[in-house]
Amino acid sequence: RMNRKKGDKGFESPRPYKFTTHQVVCINNINFQRKSVVGYVELTIFPTVANLNRIKLNSKQCRIYRVRVNDLEAAFIYNDPTLEVCHHESKQRNLNYFSNAYAAAVSAVDPDAGNGELCIKVPSELWKHVDELKVLKVHINFSLDQPKGGLHFVVPNMEGSMAERGAHVFSCGYQNSTRFWFPCVDSYSELCTWKLEYTVDAAMVAVSNGDLVETVYTHDMRKKTFHYMLTIPTAASNISLAIGPFEILVDPYMHEVTHFCLPQLLPLLKHTTSYLHEVFEFYEEILTCRYPYSCFKTVFIDEAYVEVAAYASMSIFSTNLLHSAMIIDETPLTRRCLAQALAQQFFGCFISRMSWSDEWVLKGISGYIYGLWMKKTFGVNEYRHWIKQELDQIVAYELKTGGVLLHPIFGGGKEKDNPASHLHFSIKHPHTLSWEYYTMFQCKAHLVMRLIENRISMEFMLQVFNKLLSLASTASSQKFQSHMWSQMLVSTSGFLKSISNVSGKDIQPLIKQWVDQSGVVKFYGSFAFNRKRNVLELEIKQDYTSPGTQKYVGPLKVTVQELDGSFNHTLQIEENSLKHDIPCHSKSRRNKKKKIPLMNGEEVDMDLSAMDADSPLLWIRIDPDMSVLRKVEFEQADFMWQYQLRYERDVVAQEEAILALEKFPTPASRLALTDILEQEQCFYRVRMMACFCLAKIANSMVSTWTGPPAMKSLFTRMFCCKTCPNIVKTNNFMNFQSYFLQKTMPVAMALLRDVHNLCPKEVLMFILDLIKYNDNRKNKFSDNYYRAELIDALANSVTPAVSVNNEVRTLDNLNPDVRLILEEITRFLNMEKLLPSYRHTITVSCLKAIRVLQKNGHVPSDPALFKSYAEYGHFVDVRIAALEAVVDYTK
Amino acid sequence: GSKLASTPADNYYLARRRTLQVVVSSLLTEAGFESAEKAAVETLTEMLQSYISEIGRSAKSYCEHTARTQPTLSDIVVTLVEMGFNVETLPAYAKRSQRMVITAPPVTNQPVTPKALTAGQNKPHPSHIPGHFPEFPDPHTYIKTPTYREPVSDYQVLREKAASQRRDVERALTRFMAKTGETQSLFKDDVSTFPLIAARPFTVPYLTALLPSELEMQQMEETDSSEQDDQTDTENLPLHMSTDDSGPEKENASVLQQNNSLSGSRNGEENLIDNPYLRPVKKPKIRRKK
Repeated sequence: RMNRKKGDKGFESPRPYKFTTHQVVCINNINFQRKSVVGYVELTIFPTVANLNRIKLNSKQCRIYRVRVNDLEAAFIYNDPTLEVCHHESKQRNLNYFSNAYAAAVSAVDPDAGNGELCIKVPSELWKHVDELKVLKVHINFSLDQPKGGLHFVVPNMEGSMAERGAHVFSCGYQNSTRFWFPCVDSYSELCTWKLEYTVDAAMVAVSNGDLVETVYTHDMRKKTFHYMLTIPTAASNISLAIGPFEILVDPYMHEVTHFCLPQLLPLLKHTTSYLHEVFEFYEEILTCRYPYSCFKTVFIDEAYVEVAAYASMSIFSTNLLHSAMIIDETPLTRRCLAQALAQQFFGCFISRMSWSDEWVLKGISGYIYGLWMKKTFGVNEYRHWIKQELDQIVAYELKTGGVLLHPIFGGGKEKDNPASHLHFSIKHPHTLSWEYYTMFQCKAHLVMRLIENRISMEFMLQVFNKLLSLASTASSQKFQSHMWSQMLVSTSGFLKSISNVSGKDIQPLIKQWVDQSGVVKFYGSFAFNRKRNVLELEIKQDYTSPGTQKYVGPLKVTVQELDGSFNHTLQIEENSLKHDIPCHSKSRRNKKKKIPLMNGEEVDMDLSAMDADSPLLWIRIDPDMSVLRKVEFEQADFMWQYQLRYERDVVAQEEAILALEKFPTPASRLALTDILEQEQCFYRVRMMACFCLAKIANSMVSTWTGPPAMKSLFTRMFCCKTCPNIVKTNNFMNFQSYFLQKTMPVAMALLRDVHNLCPKEVLMFILDLIKYNDNRKNKFSDNYYRAELIDALANSVTPAVSVNNEVRTLDNLNPDVRLILEEITRFLNMEKLLPSYRHTITVSCLKAIRVLQKNGHVPSDPALFKSYAEYGHFVDVRIAALEAVVDYTK
Repeated sequence: GSKLASTPADNYYLARRRTLQVVVSSLLTEAGFESAEKAAVETLTEMLQSYISEIGRSAKSYCEHTARTQPTLSDIVVTLVEMGFNVETLPAYAKRSQRMVITAPPVTNQPVTPKALTAGQNKPHPSHIPGHFPEFPDPHTYIKTPTYREPVSDYQVLREKAASQRRDVERALTRFMAKTGETQSLFKDDVSTFPLIAARPFTVPYLTALLPSELEMQQMEETDSSEQDDQTDTENLPLHMSTDDSGPEKENASVLQQNNSLSGSRNGEENLIDNPYLRPVKKPKIRRKK
């Protein structure tokens, strides 16, 4: 079928040789002071063709001392073309030229094309041996000095031994970058078993892949060697390492799981990982498959390259994910990271990919099962909110940058065959991609998996995953039969075949639409109600000419809420039909008092006075299940959006309604939003969103607004003392939904503006009072995020300074309100030095606020402060905030 | 210049002297003298005055020695004995027949010690106190007017106070820190209005950023133990009730349980856990020399 011949025949290695049993990596010296590593690797190679006289391997930045093949010295050439991409080129200094040259350089060393930086000549003495297709042993001695990537050293500059200083080193990098720290075939598709040995200081621990077989002291008893065996065939790109004076925690629920953290953080590690076993249980249950490795290790390190990195039987996390029981906001974020890492253990580490163009399957499946975990853990509302958020993101990105192609097929490598000519980089290799593109690629991959689920049902979906895992698991237990191991590699065609076998359904059109081509769909919808025929005349237009768009042909679900109930209609979107007639079920009526049945079977009383007397339509939704990767711009009357916000139970519909109501600043919109805000059964994220919409509406209605500033009385009612409404209650964050609302409302209120376009004095005083009376002494939880948001609120209240003749900003002409704000920021920022908050959230907010004051001309625009906070040695969040402020000077 | 003496004290002195002269003269008459030189009379007067003064002084000493303020008869007796006077002859001498009676000296205007201002009426003695005891002093010396304030129990005032106290402490502390250390400023021309403690990089930045401060740890312990009290805080009560059966609380309960079970397994099952990272490090194998 189509041009997918490759998968049917099974995997063919691009190399004229294969690995047999295993590969040995031995690192026998690690010098933290000099940031250097000395070691050797030993690869066992099985020639598949006669006259093999050159072996190409990947190696970057390593110094190679000596290569021996079957104990005979071998000549070798090392050449890394990516070090100087534009070789002495001075004429064509443009991005396009660089991009092409860079793609060519990466191709030249691409292991999936049989290439590599290191070319070893097989000694002539062995040529006869090779012609008989006998085993070769390649032994390479190497060292690594001050690595720039792949292996990261963290060495705090202080007194004491390296262990006392908390010095550590870990492997890191983007995609296949193991070649940065030892010579190998750096491909996700070349599997073998591993023996890994690390000799480290006796006070340190080396954590790596597979089972720790034994730990042995060296003869001087000052060092010890960690011996690891990884018997499950694994790609070199999934090999990892972390060495440091780690504290060790054996998981109390699963003794084969071990957690590692840096010194002093053990209490945080205990709390943070106490939840992990539940994630294990969830994945094992839905996949009906045991976790594939015999052990699992989590390591939390400083200066992490990414928050989460998954490798065979271990994951490396940022130490900044650790938190205590007092921290609310970080808890769900960290749990998400743990769940993501574990999903990738099954799909990404255990099951690897055949080629780069199959990456979407792995990212898609791991992202999809992670989504299922989200749904189970945080609920359907959170899940649907997340899906909507991801959908909005990918749509916005594709419309801005052009399409994201999940499964690119490359022709002869000529420019005109490039499937992504709209981009300024090549998508042929993971290393030539932009980071943002790859993030969006992963986002699209899991959304497409969800579309497949919609098509074939979740049950079949999970059966497919189970089948992939079972096949891989059988293959992994086969020893010395490397041709079977290709079952552990997933390919697009293999995956699709499995879907077709399990479900019996043809999903080709779906794959063609979303996987084989890029772009999203842009719908414009509007309607008219034909009273005579009692028909809803829906018009759906598409824009498929703008960059990043594609034409959609196929079914589209439309849900119409009428007086008599909610009705689903499936329209066929075809080439030239824009209009769709949908018959209505109910006659318009006004006087009969009857409850209105909703989609979920609920029956509710509604005040129908706002609606059009001639029409039975309450609201209309296009593609409510998000079954198309699309953007919908739909026109309906303001009262319909208001009904949708109040009565539609789907959080996505509520969020869409809130967004639409920004354009209708009327008292009715105000009332609908306030009602939602007060409704405790309503999803907290919707309520938070309503806050910001209410602020926008209030600003548009400023001349006719009556009563106190928006949200003020509600906040007072919810969070202030009954007897003295100007004083906020002492903090109690036991109810997380209230907590999030309490944090958000002041931030939104600060966006209110009066007729002079200034933040009303009343609002500023209100926020200052919240800060003044904030009392966390009796709270079980930390209030650092709440205080940080109060500072954000202060920053939001700032409006541009009235400048007379470009006068220089000095203290004397400082606006009195700004003086009050500065007083608070100064105190907060100084208190952080004495009692620092978790992740220095308050410093971050203060820096942002100071930049806002500068930008609005209240404070002299001087980047010196931000430069000092951007220096190495500050907490990473603070540095990022400071750097963002510095970068802001260029805008 | 005696005529010129006009102060009451001087007058009193002169009057007393005159009386003493009269006494000396009558005693001389009694002894049979018909006349005496003025100088002799003066000398005798002086002697008598000295003698009487000495009796008074000495008697005062005795009286004060026994912690009294008013001399009694016995004080005078002891004084006289000490001065070598035969006290027993005194009654007979006092009752002698030929003694002369002299008229009392004219009452001169006695120097009036200005009376202290009396405020209010002195309290009468209670019945159990004998009447000879001194009177109560003036009321103002012992009457007390309570001036303490009502204990502050108003919620609003308490919160106000706590807030401003904390703010003052924080402000003072940070200003002190800023004054004594390096600072940064938002305004080039001014370093004192909004002094910022200078940003100083850490050697291990993640420790301060992640670990709860000691204050927070302490607070956490306190809130754990004072949860009962918290329930009585009327301002917080509605919030508590609304969350009683909601998710977060359950979650926290399970976190606590986990901690317990974790420590339990640490203590009890340590030996049962077989984890390669807990196994002892092996001694190196002895290399055999070939």
